[in-house]
Amino acid sequence: MRRLWLGLAGLGIVGVVLALPAAPASAHPLGNFSVNQALALDLHPTRVRVAAVVDLAELPTLQERAAVAAESGVGYNARACDALAHDVAVRVNGHRLGWTVRPTGFEYRPGNAGLQTTRITCALEANTDLAVPSTVDVANGYRADRIGWRELTATGHGVHPVDPPIPARSVSDGLRTYPTDLLGSPLDQRSARFRVEPGDGIAAIGPATQANRGDPVSGWVAGADRVLERLVGGRLTPLVGLLAVVLALALGAGHAALPGHGKTVMAAYLAGRQGRPRDALVVGATVTLTHTGGVLVLGLLLTTAAGLAGEVVLGWLGIASGILVAAVGVAMLAAALRRRTPGHHHHNHDNHHGPSHDHHHGPSHDHHHSHDHSHDHHPHSAGRGRRLGLIGMGVAGGLVPSPSALVVLLGAIGLGQTAFGVLLVIAYGVGMAGTLTAAGLLLIRLRDRFSARPRRTLTRLARLAPASSAALVLCVGLGLASRAAIGLG
Amino acid sequence: MVRRRIAVVGLAALLLTGGGGVVGLHHGSDNVDAAPAAAAPVDRLAAGIARAQQRLRVVPGDYVTWAALGSAYVERARISADPSYYPKAEGALRRSLTVRSDGNAAALVGLGALANARHEFAAARDLARRALRIDPYSATAYGVLADAQTQLGDPGAATSAVQRMLDLRPGLAAYARASYDLEQHGRLAEAESLMRRALEAAVDPADIAFCRYQLGELAWQTGRLDAASAEYSAGRATDRSYLPLLAGQARVADALGRTGEALAGYAELTVRYPTPGYLIEYAELLRAVGQRAGADEQLALAAAALGLFAANGGTDDLGAAQLALAQDRPAYAVRAARREWSRRHFADVADVLGWALHQAGSDAQGLLYARRASALGARNAGYLFHLGMIELALGKTGDARRDLSAALALNRHFSPRYAPVAEAALSQLGAR
Repeated sequence: MRRLWLGLAGLGIVGVVLALPAAPASAHPLGNFSVNQALALDLHPTRVRVAAVVDLAELPTLQERAAVAAESGVGYNARACDALAHDVAVRVNGHRLGWTVRPTGFEYRPGNAGLQTTRITCALEANTDLAVPSTVDVANGYRADRIGWRELTATGHGVHPVDPPIPARSVSDGLRTYPTDLLGSPLDQRSARFRVEPGDGIAAIGPATQANRGDPVSGWVAGADRVLERLVGGRLTPLVGLLAVVLALALGAGHAALPGHGKTVMAAYLAGRQGRPRDALVVGATVTLTHTGGVLVLGLLLTTAAGLAGEVVLGWLGIASGILVAAVGVAMLAAALRRRTPGHHHHNHDNHHGPSHDHHHGPSHDHHHSHDHSHDHHPHSAGRGRRLGLIGMGVAGGLVPSPSALVVLLGAIGLGQTAFGVLLVIAYGVGMAGTLTAAGLLLIRLRDRFSARPRRTLTRLARLAPASSAALVLCVGLGLASRAAIGLG
Repeated sequence: MVRRRIAVVGLAALLLTGGGGVVGLHHGSDNVDAAPAAAAPVDRLAAGIARAQQRLRVVPGDYVTWAALGSAYVERARISADPSYYPKAEGALRRSLTVRSDGNAAALVGLGALANARHEFAAARDLARRALRIDPYSATAYGVLADAQTQLGDPGAATSAVQRMLDLRPGLAAYARASYDLEQHGRLAEAESLMRRALEAAVDPADIAFCRYQLGELAWQTGRLDAASAEYSAGRATDRSYLPLLAGQARVADALGRTGEALAGYAELTVRYPTPGYLIEYAELLRAVGQRAGADEQLALAAAALGLFAANGGTDDLGAAQLALAQDRPAYAVRAARREWSRRHFADVADVLGWALHQAGSDAQGLLYARRASALGARNAGYLFHLGMIELALGKTGDARRDLSAALALNRHFSPRYAPVAEAALSQLGAR
């Protein structure tokens, strides 16, 4: 669930970037008077190297022309690298490293308006001891008052940084191509602190890059999700609207076919309670209502309260759903156990008193029971408790909103087509309910097949069924809740 | 039983749809307020940008947030003096319009603010008007309109737009604009009191620094060096990153005879923020203290900065004319200023065109434009100096004596290069 959510969020960004007109090529992300810097740290067991790149935009280049002319390119390069080394502080366990500075390059490159830009490179190196676990602090104070892109990267060779807050590879390819993402602010990474441990190991890749689950159903659902999001994002015509609703129905159905929607639980419940086709319908209707309501409420929350993380809410809902299932399991178990113990007062009344029992008990109570007895197969399952159990199953099934329905709703709200979004979410819920009801009906049909052929072992099994299916429901509920809790942590 | 269940389901569905309607309603009302105030605070601005970026990653179709993000990028560019935010702002605002092209006032207002920032004032005016047709109660749209009309030289329209903005949302942005409008009309005392109200309304450091700078400028214009210095210092104490304050402090330092401090201030300012205007000011000061080579270097930088502005799609013929004047190329200055005048009839443009014409020897024509610059009643020592010198050249000694005296009475230090010229001319006229 969580992974699907992240995946969808990722797809959303890709869509945005592709839909944008190509930004005009600009040599510098921060304009024509920026001073941009990238420091790449190489960590070895006995030394630290820094490959530094400084990229001066057109106006700073022009401003430093006189200095370059005065001391030649090589001299300028050396002086610039000395100044940089003076202001780049790397500390290992609090001890500042003393750099050996080597200027490695100075060149002009063509810039905007017939002007030039400058690319200065330097290599800094210092001996240290990283063969034992250490803390590394990096602080870049070079030309701190200038506007500019500032980047830090770190890689280990024979040692490895532990969860470094900076990446291993430059996102700008060493200040050659600056990302032009509309949703990204320019990088201004001036300092970092992290642990370094001996041994090889490449910095862990962020969790966001994990792929979707590989099975075909997930892939199909993800594909259909993308199509639906594109439909909502485009111009709305009656045909597109109709298509979107049909797609939402199909998506809901497909979504419910994925694991994790309590179908096992529903099967166990229907089997254990000797459910009827109507019960499957009740579960389906409840799933639709709960899911639609849940998505709408969550959509409202996410729209009004910025900063609320959808994933966290989904995690909590997952826990609630699991607990609800477990509670239904406990109730079933209690009922099953009660049925096993004889001497229940109802039995006594029914067997011994016959019609006259009306006088001994309250009229309403008795009337109710005699009514139930005459219509129900098993005397102990009160109609209300039974319906509550069914609704509980349905609520549990629909409580965790499908992330894609949520994305579609939020997208529609963003487009100012809230009503359309609500319609799609309802279609989603109906689709889910369709799958679950169909699954329930199929199970009932299968069960009836079996019980139609009387066999002794089966009959014996059937007698055990209520307790064992109650236990199964309880286990699944606890499993769902703990899985959601682990996901949250 | 079945019928009742259907009724219950129907009712639930209705309630749900109603709930969705409420969501939509709430969202619709967002529309009005979503455009950020023209003087949005920098700290909250950064947080707002991060939140909007985060949200748009999840909800890429949210045109309201796209518009808010684009406007926030424009704000960021203004506060940080970092023009790279302009293409980003345009991308975000256009994206908002792509998602929703009808009735999207917030995106139009954002594009209008961006056009003003790029000196495309006519485009800004049209965008603000389009936004106001959709949402007649958008205070920010009136703000964009007021800025554009001021620069285009339609003071009546500018004043009424500012008044609407004051009525709709009295606050920092409206007070600051009203103060500038009054200043244009020479009502400097009222301008100052409104800017004080703006300062009272300011919360974030960048806004406080902005108001302090404007108060310093108002004091400087009337020659109150101590008051100006106090405002600039207070601004620097609040937010050192607000760079215009450095220019103010350098001007005061020079006026007080602390030339070294003034030069150092300009050097620091132009290294961090090399805009044509500041580079030309720095060059004038260098020239006034006899450093011709240094002055030429700064003017070459100003020429490069103007070239880059043009290469990025901007047009600034006013800057080009001022640069040509500083380089003693009056013929080119006249051509550039005429081009700018054909686009907008702002007082500054009239002043520069008049002075350029005078430098090029067309004093009679120059006089018309120089008078035009002060037509609204602006009390600006630079305007008065130009007017007086043109009058002097035309032999109108009485008028020249009056206007040159007025210029020096306003601010004896109005320009390191020209204040001594004014003094000399007046003493020749025998009126001091």
